[in-house]
Amino acid sequence: MTALPGTRSAPPASRRGPLARLREGWPAYLFLLPTLLVVGYFSYYPAYVAVTRAFTDWDGLNTPNFTGLENFQRALTDPVMGQAALNLAIWVAAGLLLAVVPPLLIAELIFHLRGRRRQYAYRTLFVLPIVIPSLVLLLVWGSFYRSDGLLNTLLGAVGLEGLRHDWLSDLDTALPSLIFLGFPYIDAFNFLLIYAGLQNIPDEVFDAARLDGATGWRRVLRIDLPLLRPQLALIAVLAIIGNVQYFISPLVLTSGGPGFATTVPALLMYYTATRDGEYGYAMAIAVLLMIVVVVLTAFSRLLSRGNR
Amino acid sequence: MKRGNLTVGEVVRQGLLLLFGLLALFPLYFSVVNSFKDRVQYAENLLDLPFPAHPENYALAWAQIQGPLLNSVVVTVASVLATLIFASLSAYAFALMDFPGRHLLFGVTFALLLVPEFLTLIPLYVQIQALTLPSNYLAIILPTIAAGQPFAILVLRAAFEAIPRDMLEAARLDGAGHLALLRRIVLPVSLPVLVSVAIIRLIPVWNEYLLPSLVLDERHRTLPVALVAFQGGGAATAVTPNYGALMASYVLAAVPLVLLFAFLMRYYIQGVTSGGVKG
Repeated sequence: MTALPGTRSAPPASRRGPLARLREGWPAYLFLLPTLLVVGYFSYYPAYVAVTRAFTDWDGLNTPNFTGLENFQRALTDPVMGQAALNLAIWVAAGLLLAVVPPLLIAELIFHLRGRRRQYAYRTLFVLPIVIPSLVLLLVWGSFYRSDGLLNTLLGAVGLEGLRHDWLSDLDTALPSLIFLGFPYIDAFNFLLIYAGLQNIPDEVFDAARLDGATGWRRVLRIDLPLLRPQLALIAVLAIIGNVQYFISPLVLTSGGPGFATTVPALLMYYTATRDGEYGYAMAIAVLLMIVVVVLTAFSRLLSRGNR
Repeated sequence: MKRGNLTVGEVVRQGLLLLFGLLALFPLYFSVVNSFKDRVQYAENLLDLPFPAHPENYALAWAQIQGPLLNSVVVTVASVLATLIFASLSAYAFALMDFPGRHLLFGVTFALLLVPEFLTLIPLYVQIQALTLPSNYLAIILPTIAAGQPFAILVLRAAFEAIPRDMLEAARLDGAGHLALLRRIVLPVSLPVLVSVAIIRLIPVWNEYLLPSLVLDERHRTLPVALVAFQGGGAATAVTPNYGALMASYVLAAVPLVLLFAFLMRYYIQGVTSGGVKG
């Protein structure tokens, strides 16, 4: 380290050489080391493997051979992929509505209750269901859909015996059954996010709206929705990302069937690797899905910013 | 607070909320009442209370899932604690230390939020199988710590930055080093935030199914994996399972979360509604 001639006190850090600053930063690097190690090995390296192996005929064990775009070509021309992509499109569209509308509705209802304690009590009530493990919810709903399950019992009780059937093994009802699993769809996280957004709106805004005669639905449409845009946009993006990669309920309840009625691309990716051992092809599907996620996310961000 | 503000609109709103709130909790009610029924009672009525009750279902369920329940507790507690420790160290460095590459490294950890889970699932599975770990638990604990880092660091960094500088300066003049500062001031002051992060992270870790089902051997498998195995191969199977015991296992799987949220619900709500997770 070369101190400037004539300086008495130690020079400020910014004026010292980069090497010296690197050396002085050692406690910081030590603090970051555990994080960087786990993240590097368990997040970045697998992501790197996924992207690079997508261009190979990797079997998970042996050295992969570079095959160029072959996997991608295969994925884009596979008719099963076509059906899976269609299922996914339906799933994402419906999932987007279910992620936004019910939590918004409940948040609005609670926010406009009279009295803080009452609001607090109901807010707690709608967060409470997170104590149900997500897999339990899935399995309980799976039992509702069975031929001897709750749904058919209820249909029988109201005289609609004609509609009774095994919901998950019927070609026409399997996919909607999986998508609409979990009534009334009030995700605690989304609900709290919207509720917090409503609380952040200054009281003056509501007072001004009331003076202008904007009450009830008019106020929701003209004041609340525009001001909730950041929260709603975040929920929309998270719902898209979440639903594109989601495949636990078809994996656990239907194995993608009957036929390919409930197969989504992520499930296809999973089976291609674990069942067929074609890891390279599976990674190509994963990379294609990631491109879809990025495009949809960018698009929805643009949309939520653009229509102002 | 004034009473007597029960207008018609208010009554309707509360009625709707109560209805939807109870519907959201219905799977829990359904599991509890049916966990006490034998096969005949289950077939006869799905909604009523069981008379006579069959608590022996719980003995059956417990025999099946006591191991996995313990495994889930071990995996979840270890993952969440280690996530907090690693993230606290990093958040401290990002918030309160000056070093070259600070912004770059923060960007590198933050960018992980953009790496989707399905992309890394299969490579992780292959990678972990090839790895010789001292304990099979680590096969799920280590990747889970990594997955929790970006969110935890993001929230903790904001909390650490908000700590008044005078407090830290005073301690530093007393000769405290970085580790001492972190342990004696930064962490105690940020305790509510730490609890929030822990509990928000805990939910997905407790519920995790995919990677555990791939990398954990039978002796170490966690609750979600065991529940699916106990249920026996999807709803499409022809055999009617013993629903009473199944439902009892579902109830047992929810008990730890019920206990936890009985005490810490407040921190979950605060964590989600305060700045940390906003877009």
